Amino acid sequence: MSETLEMHPELGREVEIGSIDRELHQLWAEDEARTNASLINLAVYSERPGALEENSRTIRELTREHACRALLIGIDRDAGKTSIRAWITAHCHLSHGHKSVCCEQIAFALTGRATGRLRNTVFAHLNSDLPMVVWWQGELSPIFSERFHGLIDRFVFDSAEWRDPRESFGRIEEAMEHSRQMIIHDLAWSRSHQMRVSLAALFDDPVAQAALPAIDRVEIVHHPDQHCAALQLLAWLAVQAGWRDGLELDLALSGESRGGYSFENQGGVPVVATLKADPQSAAVGALVLRGGEVTVEVRHEAGARFLTRRLEAPGHAMEAPGPVDPVAPAEVLGEQLSRGGRNRLFLKILPRFMRLLAGREDR
Amino acid sequence: MRGDWRNRAEHMTNPFREDLVSRSTPEPCTVVIFGATGDLTHRKLVPALYNLAVDGELPPGVKILGFARRDKSDEEFRTGLEDLNRKVSRSGHDEEVWGSFVQNIHYHRSEFGDADGYKRLAERLDEIDRERGGKGNRLFYVASAPEFFDDILEHLKDAGLNACREGCWSRVIVEKPFGTDLATAQHLNEVVNRTFEEKDTYRIDHYLGKETAQNLMVLRFANAIFEPLWNHRFIDQIQITCSENLGMEGGRGGYYDKSGALRDMVQNHLLQLLSLVAMEPPTDLSADGVRDEKVKVLRSLRQWDTPEKVADNVVRGQYVAGHVDGRSVPGYREEDRVDPESMTESYVALRLLVDTWRWSGVPFYIRMGKRLPKKATEISVHFKSPPDVLFSAAHGGLPGSNVLVIRIQPDEGISLRMVSKMPGTSLRLEPVKMDFHYATSFGKSSPEAYERLLLDAMAGDATLFARRDEVEEAWRFIDHIERAWHDVPGDQQPAMAEFVAGSWGPKEADDLLRADGHAWRRL
Ligand SMILES: NC(=O)c1ccc[n+]([C@@H]2O[C@H](COP(=O)([O-])OP(=O)(O)OC[C@H]3O[C@@H](n4cnc5c(N)ncnc54)[C@H](OP(=O)(O)O)[C@@H]3O)[C@@H](O)[C@H]2O)c1
Repeated sequence: MSETLEMHPELGREVEIGSIDRELHQLWAEDEARTNASLINLAVYSERPGALEENSRTIRELTREHACRALLIGIDRDAGKTSIRAWITAHCHLSHGHKSVCCEQIAFALTGRATGRLRNTVFAHLNSDLPMVVWWQGELSPIFSERFHGLIDRFVFDSAEWRDPRESFGRIEEAMEHSRQMIIHDLAWSRSHQMRVSLAALFDDPVAQAALPAIDRVEIVHHPDQHCAALQLLAWLAVQAGWRDGLELDLALSGESRGGYSFENQGGVPVVATLKADPQSAAVGALVLRGGEVTVEVRHEAGARFLTRRLEAPGHAMEAPGPVDPVAPAEVLGEQLSRGGRNRLFLKILPRFMRLLAGREDR
Repeated sequence: MRGDWRNRAEHMTNPFREDLVSRSTPEPCTVVIFGATGDLTHRKLVPALYNLAVDGELPPGVKILGFARRDKSDEEFRTGLEDLNRKVSRSGHDEEVWGSFVQNIHYHRSEFGDADGYKRLAERLDEIDRERGGKGNRLFYVASAPEFFDDILEHLKDAGLNACREGCWSRVIVEKPFGTDLATAQHLNEVVNRTFEEKDTYRIDHYLGKETAQNLMVLRFANAIFEPLWNHRFIDQIQITCSENLGMEGGRGGYYDKSGALRDMVQNHLLQLLSLVAMEPPTDLSADGVRDEKVKVLRSLRQWDTPEKVADNVVRGQYVAGHVDGRSVPGYREEDRVDPESMTESYVALRLLVDTWRWSGVPFYIRMGKRLPKKATEISVHFKSPPDVLFSAAHGGLPGSNVLVIRIQPDEGISLRMVSKMPGTSLRLEPVKMDFHYATSFGKSSPEAYERLLLDAMAGDATLFARRDEVEEAWRFIDHIERAWHDVPGDQQPAMAEFVAGSWGPKEADDLLRADGHAWRRL
């Protein structure tokens, strides 16, 4: 036990699987001044070694704004030994400087064949009636099966972590077919949220709105790890602006246009979009639309606390700051949880994104 | 070229807005604030606009033009605003955002009564529109003392500023107090409506911008379990309490002594809360859909239109010296800038009856007072007791009935009191409380009421603003009481009750409820 405590100080007290409920109860009985708060069940799944402790620190931060019962799941499928261990703790924060508001956390480590018992073991400890949010970290493994996603209300993943996004998105689409209640959130999509809000704000300006039919060039700068985020942003732009797919293959064939996509707007004007990967860039560093003498752009310098929104047209220039999306995955998740909703817009652009993704990889 | 674009853009919508925010879109405009060197502008309006900018909610191209009489440069005006924003802004003060935000703030020096000042204002606004390009939308915020409202509106009209160009809008936000009685409110409404159309008139009631007030409709109409019980068959009584521990600090006495609790708080904020609690489900969530239902409640209020009825249903009071929060405090009549023989109420308690099918026979009790033990605003819905056959006196009887409490401020939230069995071998019943706190469940702070309301006005959504008929109906009800208090011969006037500062109000207010077999909820 003492060895365990040394190994996992962050995870709290190690407890027998069969006595988790009793131990949790005791945890609350120890200090009556604390208030237990919970709006969701939040399960965080990872197969990365050491992830349990790291995720526990993340949940501590997240619970400042999102009261939840946290279930941390650490999986080692390849381990020879079969074992299930569990730890409980509470993350407490002072609310408005006086009341101590706490969220309980149960951490599970499952190894070897015990990983097959994940569903029964872990999901027996949900807070009843509260929605079940799963944050899946890393590649989708065989554990992401019907039996698993059938229980989920919201499924959060990060396509930036995937080696083969096309294949993984295919599995997500299948899962959505099967588990229709499940709402999906790609953190990569959330990373361009404020870019989209800022672009939308710029297009509230009638000058920008009137110039939309003339837009014929789009440039998106992104970090090399955030190709999906950039491509989703492009898919959104094309869907919302009503651009049809253009002659992508032609462009792909001419060497200098690598990273190029072509569309055709509602008036038949060709629109060329370029995605540039830049290691110095923020996740999505720039979104620039040009047409005639008009430029509409949103830039996010890496590390800057605000986006720059800019609109330039003859005799008309405007610049204003806008909020940025957070960088750390936990903060991105926090923002996403605050926004809630059914994420309909993402579902709307998903087929287009998948087409762009396929087109890109076919080249 | 630019003109071309503008014409083309008139019938377009912004395709990128879809699903990003579930609210109507605020449009770029110039916000002109009358009384811009005042307290409200510095403490509330500009910090609200700044916080909207921080959250990225302020449409790009919003300009702010402060109008007041003092001689100030843009720079001086901005510095004063910055000093206060540092102190009061909800999200703190960020140099970078402020640096960009403040570029859009300008100052216009003029007297409210100076026609020439408005001509110059019109020129200045045209200049701003030219520089900014795009539409020339204008939002006039009248944040002056009420005696200037007429002047400002008339001059706006004379300078042609009320009229908007094609494709643009011109709106006015009017601060409280909106009149001091029905006649002045009607007069003001006429002046406003001569200048602006009703759809472009936004009468602020910042209580409606509060999160919990907005949540009232959600609570009632998005949950299936409350509405079937929300009527005279299941509800015994409803109480609305607004208590303040402050008195007349900071020179407030001057204004307050002319107004009083009834006019300052009940006519607007508390009757608005009452309307939200008592209204029928609206046909839709449009501004008029909701306001049509709210005004029906005000129209259904039984009128206390004789001094006798007022004496029977309304208690007015003043505090005498006492202790609040461990400090000794003076009595109301000894307060700074208060008339030592003042007959203005610092406390009021009312019994109201809403004569509708739904509320027949259910009393609504409202109380508001200064120098009460603590600051709190809440609505409590007291349900009827179940039949007493099972848990009769033999078992100690029922310990009170169900109470649903909606806390508006502070510590916004909702609680429900239920009866439960005490653990043990005997049957003892005790009340228990299920409690929901906004702050505990949602760590994020809610936007300030003014943020929401300014954004709504820019978006043309008047749902959370009072409509002309609402204001007038509320005054109609209040006027009878004011008249009974002040316009009848002294010996027939209902008495002014006294209570010790720091207590929960006069004994007479307790008697008012006791007569119905009720008691004020203990907060
Ligand atoms: N303060 C609040 O928190 C609050 C809350 C709710 C409602 N309100 C309402 O909002 C309104 C304003 O309140 P406030 O506290 O901001 O008042 P205030 O601090 O007294 O400010 C009054 C403003 O009016 C200007 N002014 C006065 N006479 C003028 C004239 N003849 N010509 C041009 N400008 C003139 C003053 O300008 P100079 O300084 O240049 O003279 C100042 O900017 C009132 O109706 C009040 O009831 C205020």
